[in-house]
Amino acid sequence: MLDKYECLKKLAARRTDEVVVTTMSVAMPWAELSDGPLDFAHVESAMGHAADFALGLAIAQPERRVFVINGDGSTLMCLGTLVTLAQRPAPNLTMVITENGTYEVTGNQPVPGAGQIDYEQICRGAGIQNVYTIEDADQFDAHLEAHFTGAGPQVFIWKIAQASEPVPKPKRPIRERAHNLRQALVG
Amino acid sequence: MLSSEKIIDALEEQGVTHVVGVPDNGSRALFERLWAHPQIEVILTSREGEAFGLASGLYLGGATPLVLIQNTGFFEAGDGFRGTAYNMGIPLVMMVGYRGYKTMEPGAPRVDTAATFFEPTLKAWDIPYTAMHEDGDIAQIPAAFAKARETSLPTAVLIVPETV
Repeated sequence: MLDKYECLKKLAARRTDEVVVTTMSVAMPWAELSDGPLDFAHVESAMGHAADFALGLAIAQPERRVFVINGDGSTLMCLGTLVTLAQRPAPNLTMVITENGTYEVTGNQPVPGAGQIDYEQICRGAGIQNVYTIEDADQFDAHLEAHFTGAGPQVFIWKIAQASEPVPKPKRPIRERAHNLRQALVG
Repeated sequence: MLSSEKIIDALEEQGVTHVVGVPDNGSRALFERLWAHPQIEVILTSREGEAFGLASGLYLGGATPLVLIQNTGFFEAGDGFRGTAYNMGIPLVMMVGYRGYKTMEPGAPRVDTAATFFEPTLKAWDIPYTAMHEDGDIAQIPAAFAKARETSLPTAVLIVPETV
C-alpha cells in the first residue's frame, strides 16, 4: 500500500513545468507542495470532470505534459471519460487514479464496488493501452520517471492507504485560478 | 431547416478550433460537415457534462472551443457546466438542439418535457440565449460569441429546426 503524501512529494520533487490538476483529497496536500499558476485544484464539485478538463488542456497544449490526479470516487462518477480519453488520445496526458476505496473528504464512506473493482482492466477495456497499477513504494520509484515521459494517454493506479483529509478549500477562488492558469499557458 | 454550411461559416469567422459534444438528429448534418472540415477538430464525449470540462480546458490552453449538444444532454450536464465553464468564467458558446420544440405548439398530441423544461433551466442557470429558427438567425452566433467575451461567461444558441 502506498502513502499518498510520500508519492506526492516524489512527484513534486521531479516536476518541472507540467500542469497538475488535482481533485478532492489530493488537492490540499499537493497545494502544500506546490501552489503556482500551473497547479489547478479542481474542487468546485463537478466531481468526475477533472479528467475531461485535463484532456482539453492537453489537446490545447500539446508540447506540455498535463497531469490529472483523480480519486477512485471521482473516476467512478464519469467512467465514460476513460473512453473519451482513449478515442482522442493526447500523448502528453498522464492520469493518476488514487485508489483507497473511499470518499475520503466526506468521512471515508466506501465508494461503490470498493475492493472489487479492477481499474486497470476498466482502463484497458476503455481503450487506454498504457495502464500501470502501483502497489508499493519500490514500484512507485521504478515508475516515477514514466509518469513524466511515458506515452499518453497513460494511467497510473496508485493503491493508497486510507487517510483523513478535510473538504479542500483552495486559497484563491476558482475564477482567479483559471485566469492564472490561462495566463501561464497562453499569456 | 438550418444551413450547416452557413453555421460553419459563422464558426470560422469566430476562429473556432474545436467542436466538443454529442450528436443528435438535429445536429447530424452539421456534425457530418464538421468532421470533414480541415481546420475545426470535432471531439466526441461520452456524456454531455464532459463537453463543458473538456471545452474549459481547451479554452484555458489557448483554443477556441464550441460545445454542441442536445437539450436532453444539457440537463445531464448541469454540474459539469456549473463547476467548470460557469464557475471558471469561460467565455464559451454552446449550441444546443431544441428537442421537442414543436410539441409545445397548440394542439400537439403530447408535450416533450425536454422542451418545456429547457428555457426555464437556461434562465435558472444564468445562461443568456438566443434561438435559430431559420438561416437568417445564424447571425445570432457572432452575437453569442460577443456576449460571452463581454461577460466572461457561457452563452447559448439554440438549434430549433434540423440542420441540413
